[in-house]
Amino acid sequence: MENVEFEASEIEYVSYGGEHHLPLIMNLVDQELSEPYSIFTYRYFVYLWPQLSFLAFHKGQCVGTVVCKMGEHRNTFRGYIAMLVVIKPYRGRGIATELVTRSISVMMESGCEEVTLEAEVTNKGALALYGRLGFIRAKRLFHYYLNGVDAFRLKLLFPRPELHPSLPMMADKYESHIQSDQGDTSFKE
Amino acid sequence: MAEDRASEPPSFSSRPSLPSADNSVWADVSPLLHAACQDLQEGELIHGDNFNLFAAMSALEIMDPKMDSGISCTYYSVDDAIENGVAPVPLSADKTADVQCVIDIMDHLLACEATWHKGHSLAQTVYSCLYLLRPERISSHALLHSFCKVIRATCKAILSVVSEARTHEEEDLFTMAYGLPLSGDGDEKCLSLLNAVEETISRQLRSCKASLSKRRVSEDIEPLQNNPDLEEGYCKALLCRLRFRKHFYHLLMSMKRPQGRGFELARKHIVSCISEIDHIQKSSEFLKVNANKMSEPNLDDTTASGCQPVGFDASLNCRLSAPTPPRSIKLLCLEKALEYFMKLLQDLDVICSYTLAPSLESALLFVVKFQKSQPDLVARAHLQLLMIQDGKLYGRDPIFSMITRAAGLPEVAEIHEIQKNEFMVQLGQLVINLLKILCTNAAWQRRKLGKMLQDWRVTYVQLEMAFKGEFEEASKSSNNKKICFKIYQHILAWVEEQTYWIAFRFLNLGFELELYSVHDYCMVYWYFYVVLIKLAEKKHLRMSLSGESAKKKTKKRRDSFKDGEMDYQISPPVLYLQSQIYLAEGLSMMFAALRNEHRIAPLQSPFNTEHEIFIQQFELLQRACVPDHISYATFKESTVRANFSTLAICDYFKEAQRIAKELKSSFANDPDTMAELRRIEQVAERNSIALNVCRAGALDPKLKISFSFCHHPFYATAIVKRS
Repeated sequence: MENVEFEASEIEYVSYGGEHHLPLIMNLVDQELSEPYSIFTYRYFVYLWPQLSFLAFHKGQCVGTVVCKMGEHRNTFRGYIAMLVVIKPYRGRGIATELVTRSISVMMESGCEEVTLEAEVTNKGALALYGRLGFIRAKRLFHYYLNGVDAFRLKLLFPRPELHPSLPMMADKYESHIQSDQGDTSFKE
Repeated sequence: MAEDRASEPPSFSSRPSLPSADNSVWADVSPLLHAACQDLQEGELIHGDNFNLFAAMSALEIMDPKMDSGISCTYYSVDDAIENGVAPVPLSADKTADVQCVIDIMDHLLACEATWHKGHSLAQTVYSCLYLLRPERISSHALLHSFCKVIRATCKAILSVVSEARTHEEEDLFTMAYGLPLSGDGDEKCLSLLNAVEETISRQLRSCKASLSKRRVSEDIEPLQNNPDLEEGYCKALLCRLRFRKHFYHLLMSMKRPQGRGFELARKHIVSCISEIDHIQKSSEFLKVNANKMSEPNLDDTTASGCQPVGFDASLNCRLSAPTPPRSIKLLCLEKALEYFMKLLQDLDVICSYTLAPSLESALLFVVKFQKSQPDLVARAHLQLLMIQDGKLYGRDPIFSMITRAAGLPEVAEIHEIQKNEFMVQLGQLVINLLKILCTNAAWQRRKLGKMLQDWRVTYVQLEMAFKGEFEEASKSSNNKKICFKIYQHILAWVEEQTYWIAFRFLNLGFELELYSVHDYCMVYWYFYVVLIKLAEKKHLRMSLSGESAKKKTKKRRDSFKDGEMDYQISPPVLYLQSQIYLAEGLSMMFAALRNEHRIAPLQSPFNTEHEIFIQQFELLQRACVPDHISYATFKESTVRANFSTLAICDYFKEAQRIAKELKSSFANDPDTMAELRRIEQVAERNSIALNVCRAGALDPKLKISFSFCHHPFYATAIVKRS
């Protein structure tokens, strides 16, 4: 399948809007996974956390989606990225990064302390994507997948305001660093 | 005819419908379901209060073959399958075909067994064999009967070893054997049955060889199968397979004997197993050429003949795999299965070659070295049971005496009443847990080592308080006081050293597991550096207490520690650490300089900073204060000013290289350390050169820097190229 030509501005990003989006998400994810999820699993995510799922459209066609949840886990309020798919002809153009970034931003604004997910150790693309966003490989999970492949548990820790005031020199540098970053990112509308 | 029935797929229309059970009867609920559908709004989900993600993931849609394994089941039960001729006895009325089928079953079972060892359930692998599920059916077929008995006994033996090791690693599928007939009647006598069958086939082989060379046949024996031209080939193919199972079972029984008493015998059986594997591989050409052309082709390549084996159905046991129906798995092919067994035998041989040296340090070093060859679960479980039996090292040496010996105390300390102190008991348990965890897979091991640090630290603090408490007690005799003092002093020093040893292993395993990205290297090597300094300090202290370091003489120049305060004679083991301290510091500074000189782009995440990365990477070490007074701020202070010209002043790599080179004479009898010193030298030398190139070409934009672990598993080598 050849790559489709498009401008980044042609991609429309939409927050999960209701039942009409569910079959689009299910189709995309089912195509990618060898082991399908039941409809219960999809509904569990999109009905409890609709604000964390996003879809990407190109000329009316759904080309990518991200599905997440968040909640209390062992005394930390944590976000979890459950599914991320972009169809093959649209890969390598930053759509996945944009989808994930939107979801993580909502998590951050909702008060999450960290975000986590699992990825196959062989999935270089995903590891690079999440690495650029500040995730570390917190653990390696031996034979996590049924085909014997290991997984990494990826974790992103959000900055905690109470840590920085104690380091006056570092606090200044940190603030200026964050401001310059925010100026560059495109997701802030 | 029998073989036609076996190869013909059953048709659904001829199957009887599922019978009602004793207390239940079938009822049609279609109207109820239809009414329920009308009752739900779109998007409405039936769920209880505790319907969580796990419940959602476990749910399945009935009749979707990807989720509902029952829909693609050919048979409802084992008995149903047997009634439909899936596992005929005998396998064929034609003796040659019967032998061919048995060999296929043997090969397929080996592939199943290797797949099980690699981390799948017994139910879906070895026990997908109907002959194993209904052992009483095959008592008339001596060959298959004895073979199945050995398989069952072998699986039971291995299952018990892995269960006993009980580390609850991720490999929890391995020990699931609910509802499976693991113990048959008389399985303990499996070898005598196997020997009888082996004897018969050996005689058949001798007989056919004799008739080939036209010698007079001394005994009147019925041949194995019908075709005289194929008799020798089939006899040999069967014999190597039977003999492999016999020796493998003997191997397992020998290794079970406590304190390594069966090791010599085990090694002999390992040699025989390897020899029989070779014969199995050599028999495949013959089996392929003479395969039954009528048989179905084997798409999984689990048999030497290339034919599909008779009598297997992995879906029949799916109900035994709780709580969710299992997804289908891919079996290892025969070639990969044989490779797996070869590796297992080699790993077991290493274990059996170990002379049980009565020293904790050598036990730890042996386990760490053994793990470098990446042994699988079965080998590691055997190692763990060798190391710790009945709470003793090798089932022989009490842990407390091993600790006192490691701490450099004289033998009299081994029997001192201090061992009854609750914190000493706790320490003993920590050491036992450490040895067990060092036998687990690297991924799981690293997490457990990290979590363990806090326990070691707490135990140290408790021992220290107990130590102080002892000396407030006026009632003890002064002689006893002196001994107690000495014991505590040595053990406290040893505990600290061991804590930093664990911390260092936790850090360096991160490289083996590929947990660090290039952006993490600066801070990781910096943490290596601070941990290694402490490790060297504690080791030096422990050795000085027992007078070990005074014996060694070292060169005067640059003997002192980094802080320049001490000027003791430093022993080779401590200098060995010092060369690594320089290497780690050099690497950390090099990465810092490359970043400060804009040779490596810093990570700029929209969501967090390097500070958060630092917190996460070293969370467990920080929590345990191993070491204390270390923070992101101290890391930044050490590295923020690093650049190529400051690095010219302190040439860390040159120092590391020099020390490593000089140390070689002290470790002439230790090939492992010699090899390690050589590696350290190489890495130091190459990094020194790379740094010089970077310094000289500081403004050259065409210089590209990359990093490789070709010379050392966790010390990186910089490679500078002009693009």
